[in-house]
Amino acid sequence: MDKNFQEEFTQIIKFKPPLYKQRHQFVKDLVEKYKPKKVADLGCADCSLLRMLKFCSCIEVLAGLDICANVMKEKMYTLSPLPVDYLQPSERSLTITLHHGSVAHKDPCMLGFDLVTCIELIEHLEEPELKKFPEVVFGFMAPSIVVISTPNSEFNPLLPGVMLYRHPDHKFEWNQAQFQSWALETARCYDYSVEFTGVGHPPTGMEKAGFCTQIGVFTRKNPQTGKSVQSEKPAEAVYKTVFKAVYPSLKDEKYLQNAVISEVIFTAQIIKHRLMSKHEEYGNDPERKSKFQPSMDCFSDCLGKLVVEKNMEPFVSGNEVHIPLATIFSFPKVNRLCGTFEKLCKLIAGKVTLSSDGSAVMFNIEHENEDN
Amino acid sequence: TIGLQVSSGLQDLSLRDRGGRRRDFHDLGVNTRQAMVHVQESKTGFSGRMVKLTTNHFRLTSRPQWALYQYHVGYSPEMEARRLRSALLFQHEEHIGKTHAFDGSILFLPKKLENKVTELFSRTRNGEDVKITVTLTNELPPTSPTCLQFYNIIFRRLLKMLNLQQIGRNYYNPSDPVSIPNHRLMVWLGFTSSILQYEENIMLCADVSHKVLRGETVLDTMHSLHSQVGEERFRDTCAKELIGLIVLTRYNNRTYRIDDIDWDNNPKGTFRKSDGSEMSFVEYYKKQYNIEISDWMQPVLISQMKRKRGNIQGSVALIPELCSLTGLTDKMRNDFNMMKDLAIHTRLPPEQRQREIGRLLNYIQKDDNVQKELRNWGLSFDYKSVSFTGRVVQGEKIFQSGNMFDYNPQFADWTKETRGVPLIRAVPVDNWLLIYTRRNYDVANTLLQSLFKVTPSMGIRMNKPNMIEVDDRTEAYLRVLQQRVTPDTNIVVCILSSSRKDKYDAIKKYLCTECPIPSQCVLARTLSKPQTIMTVATKIALQMNCKMGGELWSVEIPLKQVMIVGIDCYHDTVSGRQSIAGFVASLNQTVTRWFSRCVVQSRGQELVDGIKACLQTALRNWSKWNKCLPSRIFVYRDGVGDGQLNTLVNYEVPQFLDCLKSIGTDYSPRLTVIVVKKRVGARFFAEIGGGLKNPPPGTVVDTVVTRPEWYDFFIVSQTVKNGCVAPTHYNVIYDTSQLKPDHVQRLTYKLCHMYYNWSGIIRVPAPCQYAHKLAFLVGQSIHREPNLMLSDRLYYL
Repeated sequence: MDKNFQEEFTQIIKFKPPLYKQRHQFVKDLVEKYKPKKVADLGCADCSLLRMLKFCSCIEVLAGLDICANVMKEKMYTLSPLPVDYLQPSERSLTITLHHGSVAHKDPCMLGFDLVTCIELIEHLEEPELKKFPEVVFGFMAPSIVVISTPNSEFNPLLPGVMLYRHPDHKFEWNQAQFQSWALETARCYDYSVEFTGVGHPPTGMEKAGFCTQIGVFTRKNPQTGKSVQSEKPAEAVYKTVFKAVYPSLKDEKYLQNAVISEVIFTAQIIKHRLMSKHEEYGNDPERKSKFQPSMDCFSDCLGKLVVEKNMEPFVSGNEVHIPLATIFSFPKVNRLCGTFEKLCKLIAGKVTLSSDGSAVMFNIEHENEDN
Repeated sequence: TIGLQVSSGLQDLSLRDRGGRRRDFHDLGVNTRQAMVHVQESKTGFSGRMVKLTTNHFRLTSRPQWALYQYHVGYSPEMEARRLRSALLFQHEEHIGKTHAFDGSILFLPKKLENKVTELFSRTRNGEDVKITVTLTNELPPTSPTCLQFYNIIFRRLLKMLNLQQIGRNYYNPSDPVSIPNHRLMVWLGFTSSILQYEENIMLCADVSHKVLRGETVLDTMHSLHSQVGEERFRDTCAKELIGLIVLTRYNNRTYRIDDIDWDNNPKGTFRKSDGSEMSFVEYYKKQYNIEISDWMQPVLISQMKRKRGNIQGSVALIPELCSLTGLTDKMRNDFNMMKDLAIHTRLPPEQRQREIGRLLNYIQKDDNVQKELRNWGLSFDYKSVSFTGRVVQGEKIFQSGNMFDYNPQFADWTKETRGVPLIRAVPVDNWLLIYTRRNYDVANTLLQSLFKVTPSMGIRMNKPNMIEVDDRTEAYLRVLQQRVTPDTNIVVCILSSSRKDKYDAIKKYLCTECPIPSQCVLARTLSKPQTIMTVATKIALQMNCKMGGELWSVEIPLKQVMIVGIDCYHDTVSGRQSIAGFVASLNQTVTRWFSRCVVQSRGQELVDGIKACLQTALRNWSKWNKCLPSRIFVYRDGVGDGQLNTLVNYEVPQFLDCLKSIGTDYSPRLTVIVVKKRVGARFFAEIGGGLKNPPPGTVVDTVVTRPEWYDFFIVSQTVKNGCVAPTHYNVIYDTSQLKPDHVQRLTYKLCHMYYNWSGIIRVPAPCQYAHKLAFLVGQSIHREPNLMLSDRLYYL
């Protein structure tokens, strides 16, 4: 069931931004602060939190888990890479996986995470599941940080129309004392510390009611325990993977090579174009003369500075244009992509036509058009 | 009959988020055949020899008694939000089943519920009880238009499930792109698909589609344009190059069309969010997507939203740095080297194309989720494409000054056969100008010598021209034209040193409007190769002859007193958004002379009013030439977009009839209106020697893959060197000719032989290609109607 939207529905009047957005923002702020690389969202439902987190540049692995495959499937394609992600692969790698399964079961795919979020999850758990939940999340997954949010029942009288629970699927709703005692006990048991906070401030005068959504942020005390515990407990895969997206990344040699080749050839083409237009005087065409606006012409600037250095001068010989790799390498974009000159040479080997000594990109201009 | 109207929500589904207008892309509801008695029984031809063909159509097999059940869903008390309505309804999945499509009020199910009216009770989280009434409103047979639309929606769901990426209307496979670094291009392989009711079966038509994507942002493009053209022409050039292009963004999966560039705005500018607050673009992208905009000086792109959202019709501002370009610009299309490099990847020969299509079907067959979805709806496909027989009609004989030629049908070209043979009508070139720049003096002389060599055998008498040297500036050319062109001038030949459009445009504009004289522009470059100069000179001589009203060759046209009309449109997306219709009508019995006009229509005007006027003048001219009015009129109408057929049938054809009526009460010629469509999904492959080849020119298909509600056929008339030949679709939407379908097909094929700029068979009837040429010239260069003095010549070739 779509919990986010139901609350938005009645509370949009009360909370601005809507409460679910505040919860997401809370997680996002936490991510910004601790820069986790691997994040899992338990009870990810329609993946809206994951959709937001995929834009956080520190995250390299994102996973979602939900007991209901249909609700995940409905919007899971929005987690796929965009065409532009393929066109301009990013520096970081990112893999997003969605699993179908229960938080009462252990699956090795959930090991090794830095942050696990359980936003409005626990109140949907039946008693036996809730009992197993701490062992699975804190004992087995054992991430550095766990975030758990759940409704605060003390706030319910302030919400219009809430009879028993805020959502028909809720199995319980705790008051602050109930949540805190459960959280403290869990933290103690698995060697975590916990801090309490929340989103959705109570109206003035009603401060005692507490936040509308109460949140516990659990931090593992011993950074080492996690890993040692894992290796002791081999577990079988019980979750079903329903979705997996590997984002194109420059960390992947294939994409890096493509990006480098494309940048090298493009850069070389521009240098060639410049060279040729200097060579074949374009005649007395006044329409061609141009004044450059500085902000729009970083490229020519850059070229001007670089070309003065010796051995980096591109030249024409017969029907061939030679553009030294060193010149190309000194362009910031190429430089940034490759890091070292050796890497550049390695990546373009066999893919770009080079001069016989391998020091320059070579073009044949025999069959080229002079203009346009 | 069953209404075509699917509720708006489901139409959204079919064209979701693509900014697509709610159009009936397949012209489903238009049934034109029922009004034509003579093709009720059969619309097939008979002549020619049989050829075994396969195609890219796959039969859809649904279980017996398959039907789609359409329900209306009502709520009491009324629930407004669509999401809430779905949520409440789907609490009852045990009743309605897991397979459903629901848009908020209309529910489609593959099964029939027990009762006609089902009442369900849900409770909102506020504890409010809601009664949901699900009422059966329609049982849709598999062939109903709604059902077909629905199949298409389901099929698109499948493509999505296969992890294909939607760009525009099609789906592409991002995992294995071809990159062409020389041009910073990337090509994605994808598929187009449509499911339609064909002659006997509902079939999936699947084809390979290539998406060209550019590995650079719009900002990158702006930078390189700036360094190419400089400050002064920068903004104009950006507008010319970028407006009309489709972009993708870094942050969502939408495509936008660039409609304008706001140079006064930049990323620091603010916009009003839906909640009313103001925010700068920089801030917004940082907050929403964690994207840092690096260049704060760049302008902002404007995209008009085509679709009304709620009641707001507005525009979207886009940041160039965050947009990637898709597709090709006209400039790129004109770049021979680029197109050559692209063609290697996009022109798939028949067998490879069929293999790629097979791959899609294979994905569908192998994927469990996809199969499950199909099963749930009770759908399945034949995984083998449909085979049938087509006909190859006999080749046409080419007549030229009493000589008759056969040509090799495999090449569909008679350049060699007719070389050195006198033309039907050679117009003498007594008084002409040859204009060139100093640099091209030698080239001009070479051209002249070559022309003198090739023209005598064609029967063209050619005097020495006035040779005029000019500076390589637009004004210099214009000044010479103003000073030296006289009423006696037959033609002006200009040698241009570059393909810079402004010079060409200025010359054409002057000589087509103010001073109506035929003109021929030649790029110096094309004359620079000694090995091809004779061929080039021959072509130029022929073209010059046509422009002055000459005739080259003819084919046998068995019909008497017939006027053939061709219409095509050009839509200028850049300057002023004009639309131009080219209108070309034959003037003589042999169909070798043409009357040409065009309609320049600004936004809001109806093109057809102008076309009506054209038809009137065309008839007047025909009667002047033939001393009577034509008794038969054939209109080949090209440039009709998907979903516009209805307008054509209900508005344009009645206007033609009106126009004929207005000529005289006793005048009632036989009229045939044929819609010509080049962009079709169908591909045919001839099974020859155990392999798949392109079908030979003259292949006619009028069964199996045509539509039952239309009088339509396909002709493959041209040949291609690389890749797959695309058949042209002809849809006869109005016909009082009483001719047999076979004769209409033959006439159509004959007309594909009559385009004088190409001594071979082309893809469409010559009048369509002439009309295209004219509309293109006017749209690209002249921007207003050329002088009518030129209308009896092919001055735009």
